[in-house]
Amino acid sequence: MPTPDDPKQMMASLVTRKLRFIAVLSVIYLTSYVGLTVLAGFARPFLAAKALGPVNVGFMLIAANYLLSWVLALIYVHVANETFDPLVARVAAALRLERAA
Amino acid sequence: MSLTLGIFAVILAITLGITYWAAKRTRTTSDFYAAGGNLTAAQNGFALAGDWCSAAAFLGFTGLTALYGMDGAFYALGPLVAFCTVLFMIAEPLRNTGKYTLGDIILYRMKTRTSLLAAVGGTIVVNFAYLTPQMAGAGVLVRLLTGIPYDAAIVLVGIAMIVYVAFGGMLATTWVQIVKAGLMLAAAAILLLLALKAVGFNPLAFFSRAEAAYGPQFLAPGNYLKNPFDEVSLGVGYVLGLAGLPHVMTRFYTVPDAKAARRSVVWVMFLAGGFFLATTIFGLAAADLVGQDTIRAADKGGNLTLPLLAEYLGGGKGTFGGELMLGFVSAVAVATILAVVSALTLSTSGAIAHDFYVNWICRGQVHEKKQILVARLSAIGIGILAIALGILANGINVAVLVILAICIAASANFPVLILSLFWRRFNTGGVVGGILFGLVSSVMLAMLGPAVRGADAIWPLVNPTVVSLPLGFLGAVLGTLLMGRDLENEARFDEVTVRVHTGVAAE
Repeated sequence: MPTPDDPKQMMASLVTRKLRFIAVLSVIYLTSYVGLTVLAGFARPFLAAKALGPVNVGFMLIAANYLLSWVLALIYVHVANETFDPLVARVAAALRLERAA
Repeated sequence: MSLTLGIFAVILAITLGITYWAAKRTRTTSDFYAAGGNLTAAQNGFALAGDWCSAAAFLGFTGLTALYGMDGAFYALGPLVAFCTVLFMIAEPLRNTGKYTLGDIILYRMKTRTSLLAAVGGTIVVNFAYLTPQMAGAGVLVRLLTGIPYDAAIVLVGIAMIVYVAFGGMLATTWVQIVKAGLMLAAAAILLLLALKAVGFNPLAFFSRAEAAYGPQFLAPGNYLKNPFDEVSLGVGYVLGLAGLPHVMTRFYTVPDAKAARRSVVWVMFLAGGFFLATTIFGLAAADLVGQDTIRAADKGGNLTLPLLAEYLGGGKGTFGGELMLGFVSAVAVATILAVVSALTLSTSGAIAHDFYVNWICRGQVHEKKQILVARLSAIGIGILAIALGILANGINVAVLVILAICIAASANFPVLILSLFWRRFNTGGVVGGILFGLVSSVMLAMLGPAVRGADAIWPLVNPTVVSLPLGFLGAVLGTLLMGRDLENEARFDEVTVRVHTGVAAE
């Protein structure tokens, strides 16, 4: 009889939430970075166009990718610490309880 | 030259002192392969930065940017973005499931000896493909910087690496990396300050001055990577290949838990990422201040750009400040190679002594004392082999091997690792198929490509990742389907999932 504290269900919901979160972050950074390499390969005049004074679009996008990587990493760590770690702790506790029983 | 040697002697003395200290604390196999799992996130983050900023990064990125503009900046960006892959997909699962090696994870998931053997193969091929050019690079670099002959330089580097690893294990390797990362970042910070001072603290001036000297095409993409698919292939190779490099994976076993694994990635992303960004600025500054002709005259590939820039910013040739900065940066470059080759040796030792000897040949039935002995002996053997390969590689274009190492890591190891952690139906056939397809396609395409055959290339791309990576995944899926369903293995996947996400072991 599954209860709200059933470790199997808790585990399944944890994995679903975590994978969904990782998938969103991964789509963002892969699109941004692989997209930039595609532009570097196939849209060279666009990247060579001037954007900010002497700096062209390509270098702006490179800088944006640095920032994006750092920001996504901080978001990931924040969410992992605040949301997933407590969930993992609850699942682990429930598992130990189940095994002790 | 003598100043370089002097500074390098000091670094060598410090690292040998560390090794002596670490050797006394290395008693168990866990100490040897994973520093007992007791490092902090910051220590591991610095060590990862020391590990991942190879001489190719330290010297190569700056040189590429100075000579080819934006393509050099692309080379520098990939290795940072690659840590997003590591952070989101593998750092915590590795810590939660593994012990010392990639083989451990595959064996834990599959419980078959064939899959373990495939993982050992993937590890050894990638590591030696990475190790050989590092050794050859060490020979060239030490000769250029100090005048010591190529062969002698390789023997010296090899002996230092053997001493670190065989006696001090992961603890010594880690601290060598931390010291080197600290020195490297200090050098970068000083150079950045001096370079900014030279342009009146206006970073945009680097761009306008480089453009004034070399024209707008210098700042456009495609100066180095002519084939558009090569730009994409390079990017994909870096971003997924890092997560398949065994010596980088090993670093996540040195911290106590998933939280520390996660935090160490953030450390490395800011430390190494900041450094990579700085190499782009150094490259533009060197093109402007030192000049491409001087850079090319010193080394055709631009590998001496950073030492030359350091000399210029320190006060110029012949001045004390110039000599000091040149000596400092050169010594750090050599220390960089030592830190990287040590990590590669240790990780290869894990595959040979721990995975192959202990777990495959002896099925895990080896006394702890003997395990350590075998590990140390294997480190010595790998070191000697690396010296021999480095000497044999003299004069051969070894750059292709670095590309190949990362390409195989991305095409063979990465698919197998990811599918092991996240796909229920994945089985031993898939492990073998993935590693075989990824490895064979990477090697064959690299051999047929311009990096080896030059103008006679049958295959157009220098870096084949864009094709070999999908082939690696295809091989993994085909192998899985061909072998048929392994229901026992699939049933155990629940337990694997619990361990991947929580670190709680089943028994």
